[in-house]
Amino acid sequence: MNALVGTRTLWLASLRHDGRRFLPWVFLATLLPASSVLAYPAAFPDAASRQGLELAVKSNPALSLIFGPATDFGTADGFAVWRSLTVGGLLAGLGAIFAVVRCTRAQEDSGQAELLASGVVGRLARVCAGVAVGAACSLLVGLVAAVVTTAAGGNPATSFLLGATFTATGLLFTAVAVLAAQLGADAHTCTALAVGTLGALFLLRGALSTLEAPAWTVWLDPLGWVGETHPGDQNNPWPLLAVLALALAVLAVALVLQSRRDFGQGVLDPRPGPATGSIAGPFGLAARLSRTQLITWAIVALVLGVVLGYLAGSIRDLLGQDSMIQKILAAGATSQATLVSAFLVTILSILGLVLSIPGIWLLQRVRAEETSGRLETLLATPLSRLRYLGSQVALALLVSSVFLILGAALLAWLAASADVGADYWRTLGQAAAALPALWVVIGVAVAVVGALPRVTPLAWLGLLISFVLTLFGSTLNLPTWVLKLNPFEHVPTLGIQGLDGAGFGTLAGLTAVAALLVVLGLLGFRRRDIGS
Amino acid sequence: MGGNETAISAAGLSKSFGSFTALHGVDLEVHTGEVHGFLGPNGAGKSTTLRVLLGLLRADGGTVRVLGADPWHDVVSLHRRLAYVPGDVSLWPSMTGGEAIDLLGRLRGGLDTARRAELIERFELDPRKRGRQYSKGNRQKVAIVAALASHAELLLLDEPTSGLDPLMENVFQEELRRATADGATVLLSSHILSEVQSLADRVSIIRAGRVVRSGSLEELRGAARSTLHAVLASPPPRSALTALPDASLEGTRLSATVDSAGVGDVVASLNAYGLLELSVEPPSLESLFLSAYTEDEGGSAEAAS
Repeated sequence: MNALVGTRTLWLASLRHDGRRFLPWVFLATLLPASSVLAYPAAFPDAASRQGLELAVKSNPALSLIFGPATDFGTADGFAVWRSLTVGGLLAGLGAIFAVVRCTRAQEDSGQAELLASGVVGRLARVCAGVAVGAACSLLVGLVAAVVTTAAGGNPATSFLLGATFTATGLLFTAVAVLAAQLGADAHTCTALAVGTLGALFLLRGALSTLEAPAWTVWLDPLGWVGETHPGDQNNPWPLLAVLALALAVLAVALVLQSRRDFGQGVLDPRPGPATGSIAGPFGLAARLSRTQLITWAIVALVLGVVLGYLAGSIRDLLGQDSMIQKILAAGATSQATLVSAFLVTILSILGLVLSIPGIWLLQRVRAEETSGRLETLLATPLSRLRYLGSQVALALLVSSVFLILGAALLAWLAASADVGADYWRTLGQAAAALPALWVVIGVAVAVVGALPRVTPLAWLGLLISFVLTLFGSTLNLPTWVLKLNPFEHVPTLGIQGLDGAGFGTLAGLTAVAALLVVLGLLGFRRRDIGS
Repeated sequence: MGGNETAISAAGLSKSFGSFTALHGVDLEVHTGEVHGFLGPNGAGKSTTLRVLLGLLRADGGTVRVLGADPWHDVVSLHRRLAYVPGDVSLWPSMTGGEAIDLLGRLRGGLDTARRAELIERFELDPRKRGRQYSKGNRQKVAIVAALASHAELLLLDEPTSGLDPLMENVFQEELRRATADGATVLLSSHILSEVQSLADRVSIIRAGRVVRSGSLEELRGAARSTLHAVLASPPPRSALTALPDASLEGTRLSATVDSAGVGDVVASLNAYGLLELSVEPPSLESLFLSAYTEDEGGSAEAAS
């Protein structure tokens, strides 16, 4: 077939070029089931603790929105399937979408594809290479997840069916991405279309399952079909065939559109934007450039607040028995009251750590602006370096702080209404007490971006150290001084009267450390060369 | 030179990046009100020099004054008076060209909206497209419009027309002449010799981090040799050509380079052999440029300015 000449060459070139970008998706989708199979027997050793978990999960509608209905928690396999089925499919779908858009539409935007299209390459070769890259990514995610989960002690049949659900979802969204690549006029629009479809179907499946809609409604959403395989329980692979059939149908539509559209154009015309702008300063610019991401993170903060709030409300079910989870979440707690309070401190720390990500991301953007040459254009105007970086720092601190308080407000409300001894205002106050620790983590990023631009990835160092020490510090028997490297380790616990003098002293100390890091970053930024 | 007549004066500027030395003592003088061509191939140090003049890079050695100010310390007040067009314009992918122009204008303290509209019209720029949709030439136009609509005293232009088509190149030259007529000083870095030849009052040629030629085009031409082609009735003997050391003679066809001041004497002496055809070309910027680049380091002569 002439239309396919060159497909293989393009496919291999794309795999060589972009293949390593599959790895994060493969890693995450493997980590979920494999770690579940490994850790479940230790975390929930007996039937009673497993029943407690099942009760906690069933009383938390937020969890079923994400993971689907609670299945059989009696075995590690059952738990692994519940925890990975929907999220693993989501990861495989995202990986496939990014892979396909990168090697089809993004190439067209950059002009690489024009170079290729002028060579000995069939009309359909590029799009077919895209399909093959997406398929390779999907297969890799499913296969590695299945093999590693089996090796970690999972039931082979269950693990491989679970892997097959990842692959099927990946293949479906390979087709969706190829279709989106025909509709949108640039890579950004195509990714938004495909990811938006995936997100909407994911939420629809979650909502149907949370609202306990009639059984037939599961067939409204292809992501629901995947769940009908019931790995470990019924091991029924047939619904996957329906997913594949749908993928082929979507692909057929995409191929028809591909053969009709002009090179570089999309079915949907890009809308023209405003001819004039109203942004006058660096703060407004930073906010404008990160608008989409900030809205996404606001939603993440709210969802986390709800999930963790329900978790806090069901803490008695979850922590009734001695388990590793209890050790992690409530190290050092002796009574039920201190247990609840220690648990709240820990989940608020985790909330703070997760919500430091948008702040650090905003600061990392400074380096991206610099290497792209846009910072040079900005700093050639009467905009001082201090004012530029200062605005970015202010936005980063503001965004992370507001998101933490926003998530914590929901968390506190849900926890307080569950009668586990958590007071609304005290919980919110506890979140406010975590703010200085959050600022320190962001301060590390300011210092790195400002003073050490060549090692920008180190901006995440503060977050990484805090994350590892918060989650595992208490179970690894680390020396105290190592634990104290984690700013969240210093967050004081609010008593009934609020914070004592020593507590305020600690907060002042953390704030001073954060301020010092920010000053170091600003001074470094003022002294160094820009653009190198 | 008094402070008022000199827009940019740099002496002995040096800059290294790790083990790579980009500038080996650059001397540059730009007079107020002139268009100064800054010539050199890629990697000669043009952009590095401009970034030092903008205070984006700190020079390792040497002195530099821009509009009488220190570009590293007086950033804000100095940048109020200048505008810059980078060589490879990168725009914010999600912002339209119009938004980018207005952002840069506002940061500079406002821009002339009538001039902005006129420039957009003249450059046939669609300001409603997003940054990621523009071609290279159109991204360049966005930066040019933002710079020219600002009425800056000093324009620092780093290969501003790379990616522009010949029609737009024309528009650019007209608009730049208009800006200089309004009193702007321009430092125009370029490797498009025709552009510099038609716009620049004075020229500096940079080579491997050093300025090797500097002066007005006439001054540089005076120091250089014209090219002479002649067809003679009878071939002259070799002994008659001692005044033309690089002469090549093919039958009756003679080619040689002559000192610009000595053209008359050479033509008179050749007349004895019956001149049938004669052409004398003054040194083009291209030949000046090439000679600056083919000469040995030690042979670099600097014309007085």
